[in-house]
Amino acid sequence: MTTTSPPGRHASADDPRVLLDDEIGVFGPIPPYPPRTEREAEFYTLGDGQMFLNMGPQHPSTHGVLRVVLKLDGEKVVDLDPVLGYLHRGVEKLCENADYHQVISQVDPLEYVSSLFCEWSPVMAFEKLLDVEVPRRAEYIRVLSGELNRIASHALFMGWFALDLGGLTPILWSFIERDEIVEMLAALTGQRMLFNYFRIGGVNGDLNHDFMSRLGDWMSRATEQIESNLTLLNGNEIFVRRARGLGVVDTERALGLCMTGPNLRATGSPFDVRRAHPYSVYPELDFDIPTRTEGDSLARYLLRMEEIKQSLRIIDQCLHQMPDGPIMAKLPRLLRPRPGRAYAAIEGPRGQYATYAISDGTDQPFRMRIHDPSFIHLQSVGLLMQNNLIADTMAIMASLDPVMGGVDK
Amino acid sequence: MDRAFKARLEARFGDVASGPIRQRHDETELRIPAGAAPDVLRALHDEPEFRFLMLSDLAGVDTGEQMQVVYHLWSETTSDWLRVVADGISRDDPRTPSITFLWKGAEWMEREAYDMFGIVFEGNRDLRRIYMPPDYTSFPLRKDFFLPDDAARSPGGGVRHMERSQAPQGTPAGTVRRVKA
Amino acid sequence: MTAVSRAWGRLTLPGKIVFTLVPLLAALGAGLVVLIALFGGTAWDLVLANLGIVRFLAAATIILVITIPIAFLNIYLEMKVIALMNLRVGPDRVGPWGSLLSVVHGLKVLIKEDFTPTGADPIVFTWAPVVTYGAAVMTLLVIPFAPGLYGQDFNIGLLYFFAVGGMGVVGLLMGGWSSFNKYSLLGGLRSAAQIVSYEIPLTLSVVGLLILAGTMSLNQIVQQQSGWFTDWFVFRQPLGFVIFLIAATAEGNRTPFDLTEADSEIVAGFATEYSGMRFGFFFFAEYVNVFILSALTVVLFLGGWNAPFPFPALSIPLDPGSLGIPLLFLIALVPVIGTLVLAAPFYLVRSSMRWWVALIIGFVLFNVVAGGLTFAWAYVSFDWVAGLVWFMAKTFGFVFLFVWMRGTLPRVRIDQLMGFAWKWLLPAALLNLFVTAAAVVIVGS
Repeated sequence: MTTTSPPGRHASADDPRVLLDDEIGVFGPIPPYPPRTEREAEFYTLGDGQMFLNMGPQHPSTHGVLRVVLKLDGEKVVDLDPVLGYLHRGVEKLCENADYHQVISQVDPLEYVSSLFCEWSPVMAFEKLLDVEVPRRAEYIRVLSGELNRIASHALFMGWFALDLGGLTPILWSFIERDEIVEMLAALTGQRMLFNYFRIGGVNGDLNHDFMSRLGDWMSRATEQIESNLTLLNGNEIFVRRARGLGVVDTERALGLCMTGPNLRATGSPFDVRRAHPYSVYPELDFDIPTRTEGDSLARYLLRMEEIKQSLRIIDQCLHQMPDGPIMAKLPRLLRPRPGRAYAAIEGPRGQYATYAISDGTDQPFRMRIHDPSFIHLQSVGLLMQNNLIADTMAIMASLDPVMGGVDK
Repeated sequence: MDRAFKARLEARFGDVASGPIRQRHDETELRIPAGAAPDVLRALHDEPEFRFLMLSDLAGVDTGEQMQVVYHLWSETTSDWLRVVADGISRDDPRTPSITFLWKGAEWMEREAYDMFGIVFEGNRDLRRIYMPPDYTSFPLRKDFFLPDDAARSPGGGVRHMERSQAPQGTPAGTVRRVKA
Repeated sequence: MTAVSRAWGRLTLPGKIVFTLVPLLAALGAGLVVLIALFGGTAWDLVLANLGIVRFLAAATIILVITIPIAFLNIYLEMKVIALMNLRVGPDRVGPWGSLLSVVHGLKVLIKEDFTPTGADPIVFTWAPVVTYGAAVMTLLVIPFAPGLYGQDFNIGLLYFFAVGGMGVVGLLMGGWSSFNKYSLLGGLRSAAQIVSYEIPLTLSVVGLLILAGTMSLNQIVQQQSGWFTDWFVFRQPLGFVIFLIAATAEGNRTPFDLTEADSEIVAGFATEYSGMRFGFFFFAEYVNVFILSALTVVLFLGGWNAPFPFPALSIPLDPGSLGIPLLFLIALVPVIGTLVLAAPFYLVRSSMRWWVALIIGFVLFNVVAGGLTFAWAYVSFDWVAGLVWFMAKTFGFVFLFVWMRGTLPRVRIDQLMGFAWKWLLPAALLNLFVTAAAVVIVGS
């Protein structure tokens, strides 16, 4: 028995889930209390020849502090149980105790690789609550910076995915691209990572010379650079063989799992909030929604790479169609929306980011629900496994591209 | 705002709804009693005139007087987000049927609502705490849960917005923030 | 008496050490001289009578010692080359271009704590790195580096190599089992499965070569490949070469077959719980293994120490001894004159140059020239210098290849790894063996 748990909550000695390593006092992955749910009882019962492997919270490939308990039969993963909460900050509660402007900086670190999207959906929800019309120039700037952030996020995904498959080089190549984008967003927003740029009714600052010159410089060679990064993996036989047919999911099942974004589009469904439920100035822009039908890890990877190219198209159009005008709507300093409810969803690099905000007429949101795609996709890791191996678990998880900041909120 | 969609909803669910169907911006709101949620959602999911295949969000809400579970759905048949508010869940013993039989992916969102509000989703086979530690006993997003922030209890408390809403320890129950449901 | 103790008290610490050590060393030296005078002849006779054993002991010691610079070099090469492939700078702080970083790493692991986790089997846990490193060092014993430069020339050298080299996996398995960690266990079992599977194609791929060579002595195999590079076995056994290279990659646990220490899956595999110098031994063994496998590839398939084409027999009739006394003048004067001569153009052409800067440049240039000339003379005069140069050049070419693969390839999955060994490499090796045997029979009859 471990001595740390309170008395009376131990599994009894004849419980099959009792720690095997008790006598030397090493913690096992089995919780030292009786199972609370049907699923937990089923998972924490070992079959013949099976063992638990506790991966994380500190593990090189969990993309943050995620703990996954694997039930193994040799190398084969029979089942897995992700344990969350190691990065939980209680953002929703914090937002309910902050005023509407302060919320933006609270939600910024959720998905720290694509912060602009974390800001975008709350800001949109609050604008709906306040009935604010956002100036068109601000919308274009939002789209422009958002698409840049999408490219940065997808570039990082490529590196992570390769790293989880054992390739060392792609992450450093794609980080060059990401770094250029991050530097240019830093010129625009003042921050490299947690931008805190969008405001209710507009954006914080107008496009400046530093940003535009960096952007122009990068755009002139972006396509070439991305293509050269892609050569690292796309033609690599080992990579393709590892990723193909891995974690296959079809459209119906993906919808049942509430999947959105590239993970859903890789199954053939063209659902993209930008087109399915247009917001901002996306209806005025010409771009394609790439889809693939295989629904495996390779398709998810290739789809994201295709999205990078579409994002480049959008950025190009934004630069050409950028109107003049104000970048902020006229709003009072202290925002007190009428009591009401608003829901705003946007298409982020990982899928649909949504905010459901309730106002009670005070200067603080009464309820602020943040829907994060990483959370949804991480849950499906276990369900996409089909008696895969340990190595595949990591590959499937990486191909779904969860970010633990968003998962744990 | 999709008026035709509102008419369709009223025709189909007018008898179940616990309130008028409201529309604002690109959202349509349908209120139903919590017990009817599985049937209504199944109808919305399956019937060809609705085809709400996508569960965009599932959120728990504590209005200060009752608990609600709010579903946001998306369909090709309308240009609006459909918000289904399952209300009338008691704050003392919040129970509502689970919809994991329709959307397996709702499992973790229900776990989150359970973790944060204590809403028990009957039929969810893995209703454990998801963020908070397993031996945690309270439900953080309930309105009677105050942030245990030191600043709130300091003499200067209540100067900034962050601190105003945090009642010091021992605050009578009447100070709970409420919203009109 | 008091004067002596007062004098002793006035001495500083280094002084005390010197005053203790010098008499001690003097006494020891004197004793040694007496001992040699008394028993020197007998001892020398004993050495002469057991020359084989003495030679073996010397070779074993030298080989044990040279694994350390080899490992340092490989580690540095890996860090730097992969860094360049990753578009990074890589090590650049310690030593020129960071070349001493791996030495510093070695010192670091030496002074770190050797930690044995709770629940580990301390004896097996401690001996596991020793077994792995020992196996690596022992295989190096039969590698012929150059004509006359080898540890031991067994007539079953190749068999010895595979037999002893296969023992390395025992160490990995021991480490994996005794660590009391599931990552380690999985890593150890993976390495066992992998190495047992790849031993078979590895061994079978050289059987064809053995039929052609007719010997297992690595020395003789190299000698048979002398002459033009077309005589190398790689041209007579191309399939065998490819199979050998792939299987060797798996044997050395190198990317893309580095499943035993797949850091994104099982943290560090068998080495997860190791720290300090125990981990250092595992780490060293891995890099020594890379060198050994490259060396064996070179020995078997790429002509070992042989140059790709036979050099015309040059002999420089240089016998410094015949110069007598002028040799001393030569040694004394040539550096000075050479430095001055080489410094003069720089000083004369660039007026802004200080004289001492020019002298330094001249001195460096002189050293380069003299070193080059000495090397050229040694290369022509001594077989083993030429052999060593070619051998090392080829071997580090292969080391570079292994590093290159690590920089570019992702990792295969365990089922793909095993499937590849049993479904592709093994039949291919058997085919190679069959074709070679048939060809030998047809040509021979």
